[in-house]
Amino acid sequence: MVFFLQLVISGAAVGSIYGLVAVGYSITYTTVKVLNFSQGQFVMLGAMIGLTFHVWWSWPLLPAIAASILVLVALTLLVERVSVRPFLSAESMSWVLSTLAIGIIAENVAQLVWGREALPFPAAIRDQPIRWRGMGIYPQELLIIGASCALMAALDLFYGRTVAGKALRATAHDFDVASLMGIDVKAMVSVSFAISSALAAVGGILVAPITLAESTMGNILGLKAFAVAIIGGLDSPRGIFVCAVAYGVFEALCAGYIYPGIRDTLGFLLVILVLLFRPSGIFGRAQIEKV
Amino acid sequence: MLTGRALVTAAGVVVALIPLALGSNYYLFLATLVGIYAIVAIGLNLLVGYLGQVSLGHAGFFAFGAYTAAMVGKALDGIDGLKTTGLHLWGGLVLGVVVAAIVGAAVAYPALRVKGPYLAMVTIAFGIIVFSVLMEWTAFTGGPLGITAIPRLRLGGQPLRGTSFYILVLAILAPVMVFQHNWIVSPRGRGFVAVRQSEVAAAAVGISVHRTKVLGFMLSAALAGLGGGLFAFHQAYISPDSFEFLQSVFFVLVVIFGGKATRLGPVVGAACLTFLPELLHRFAHFRLIVYGGLLVAVMYSLPEGVVGTAEAWFTRRRVRRPSAPLAVDLDGAARVGELAPARAGSPGVELLRIDQLRMQFGGLVAVDALDLVVRRASIHALIGPNGAGKTTVVNIVAGVYRPTAGRIALEGEVVTGWPAHRMARAGVSRTFQNLQLFGQMTVLENVMCGFPLTHRAGLVACATRTPALRAAEQTVRGQALVLLREVGLTEQADRVATALPYGQQRVLEIARALASRPSLLLLDEPAAGLNAHEIDVIDDLIQRIRDWGVTVLLIEHHMDLVMRISDVVTVLDYGVKIAEGAPELVQRDDRVIEAYLGRVRSVACSP
Repeated sequence: MVFFLQLVISGAAVGSIYGLVAVGYSITYTTVKVLNFSQGQFVMLGAMIGLTFHVWWSWPLLPAIAASILVLVALTLLVERVSVRPFLSAESMSWVLSTLAIGIIAENVAQLVWGREALPFPAAIRDQPIRWRGMGIYPQELLIIGASCALMAALDLFYGRTVAGKALRATAHDFDVASLMGIDVKAMVSVSFAISSALAAVGGILVAPITLAESTMGNILGLKAFAVAIIGGLDSPRGIFVCAVAYGVFEALCAGYIYPGIRDTLGFLLVILVLLFRPSGIFGRAQIEKV
Repeated sequence: MLTGRALVTAAGVVVALIPLALGSNYYLFLATLVGIYAIVAIGLNLLVGYLGQVSLGHAGFFAFGAYTAAMVGKALDGIDGLKTTGLHLWGGLVLGVVVAAIVGAAVAYPALRVKGPYLAMVTIAFGIIVFSVLMEWTAFTGGPLGITAIPRLRLGGQPLRGTSFYILVLAILAPVMVFQHNWIVSPRGRGFVAVRQSEVAAAAVGISVHRTKVLGFMLSAALAGLGGGLFAFHQAYISPDSFEFLQSVFFVLVVIFGGKATRLGPVVGAACLTFLPELLHRFAHFRLIVYGGLLVAVMYSLPEGVVGTAEAWFTRRRVRRPSAPLAVDLDGAARVGELAPARAGSPGVELLRIDQLRMQFGGLVAVDALDLVVRRASIHALIGPNGAGKTTVVNIVAGVYRPTAGRIALEGEVVTGWPAHRMARAGVSRTFQNLQLFGQMTVLENVMCGFPLTHRAGLVACATRTPALRAAEQTVRGQALVLLREVGLTEQADRVATALPYGQQRVLEIARALASRPSLLLLDEPAAGLNAHEIDVIDDLIQRIRDWGVTVLLIEHHMDLVMRISDVVTVLDYGVKIAEGAPELVQRDDRVIEAYLGRVRSVACSP
């Protein structure tokens, strides 16, 4: 039982990170039907930039996070300009290629700036596990879960209650009509990319103390975040977050009870199974084809 | 055109021979890889470019081919007889192709219902599962270390390596390219493009979308398996690293970079993306930055890929010549007879019978307890206010929806719940309220898609382009031209469908629906959005179609048109039939007037 609970908590922590990053995919996809395939690498950049401010330059954590978000948002806006916007009009798949290319570039840049080694990132709160009824729980894991939930709630409020959030939803619903209603849809596209990169930055900084900061850390993380975005349903941020946490727990249980190497096999098998029965994700709206 | 193709072929042969002339083992090695990647990319191009299905998991199929070939080759290499002939190695190569094709069909199954990013996810998941199994199942696959010392392919006792292996790859690549060409110009290839452009329309002309997708995945996976097998023999050592997600991404990059849905794109893309990193060696640590930057730059300047953009450029410069077959004069009177329904029957006999039909979407009852009989060679109009359930009836009869309850019989046969492509093959054709043309095809190609040859043509015949198939194609082409002449679109035959004025697009859809010589034609608001002149054209056309012996079920809001040409009118309101009969009777029916105009309050009426 103790072992089980421990697995659930650490799984939920990793799952929350998947969730943050996955919601980033969802935000750009619903707004402009573009998936930013460099999202994983942006998580890595978030961790690396956070590390630079926090560890190298000894900034306190919160300003370091804020700075990391700012840098990443600035970078994303540049990337959106260069590698997404030119390819929006065509029904081409060029944006797949261009965002993947940005990911490749980001990883290479990271190797040049921060090296190939995995760098330790100090935990935000104390490093020692809390002992409780025979369990050892890392405070960082609880922090990840709490912070992620808070962020998701904030995002939910932003989308539901603010004018900007409503404008984003309108743009997501119908690009052309939103534009006719006087919404600056191009700005909305930028905003959606900015939000998704801010989530990536926070995700990177939160997860780095557990996984270490490394130039390749974004690759599999980005893929898994994409996987949970899909099984949650790209148009349902709340569903995505729930699925992300569940997926993280599932992974942890597989690794804990069966053996670690089987984690990805079973995890992605689960993804295929879910899509077999729910082709638009568990919480996604099924697309009814109008004929 | 022929000279152009000969020129390209000659240039291709010369380029392929360059690595042999260079005398550098290293370049020969890379050139061999280009050939192998090109084979994989051709398969992926069929899937992504023509069929419109994304796959970010092709490294998985590639791995199945490679591991099968390597494991069979190694396991049987100890046997004396085989050691000299090398038969087991060729057998391994072939088996790899077969295994990959079977796996392709298995992957297609969950991929059938999902679209866009969801489909991408299924294929990504497949690729990652294959990769992790290769890594973890050490006893079977050798784990992270992979399989070493794979024997060389042998021909006539001589191991194939270096130059001879390169020539082997070319000797395989060439027929694969011929196959690709044959397939694309074949009726089945047209069916691929039809599915990409509109799945509902493809099903409406009798193409089984499911089978087409499974076929696409199998073909694509088989070619990836072939490439994988060659890769294993080329490298003599394989490990999971060569089959990770990035390899799948690389294959997609090759297709998009070269130009998807172009014939030369996969080869050009494979060559560029294999040699490009080598050219970037001097950038050392900055290599990937430059690589990524170049990719973005190329997409920026060549949005359709290298070959796609080049083709568009040449097409724009070329002076358009009228296609030869258009000049052929056809003996109209004799041919119009060929437009009559494939299954004849005497007029007035019951063709379609609907009993107690009910369709429910969640809580909404769109159609309720509907009985309807449509008689042969009549024009039967189905009218009613918006939301009355007319299109739902059409969709059920066409097989798009499965009814909640009720029975549908066509020519006495119960066809309830048949899928769309089966209904189409049984003689029910349709048009769409929102046009569903194959937008990027020409007018002629759209109509040709309507002919049963599109789904009946033999697979082998399509792959090899047999004389019999060519003859059948010519016949279909001729018949399509007759149809176009009948509907007055001969002049437009060579134009891209979406370039036509709206009214002509509607006519084109009707022509496509007629190509299968249906017994029953469902017209869903054929006059919507047309001007008075265009409506006259449609009016005349529908009456002629009836005169050919085709039964028409017409949904329409233009009452003038409906009342002028219909033999029987059925009125629906809120999913229920409220009136039926000859046009003049229905027009005077109180309930019909009420449904359209509302009830006149009795108080106001009294003097």
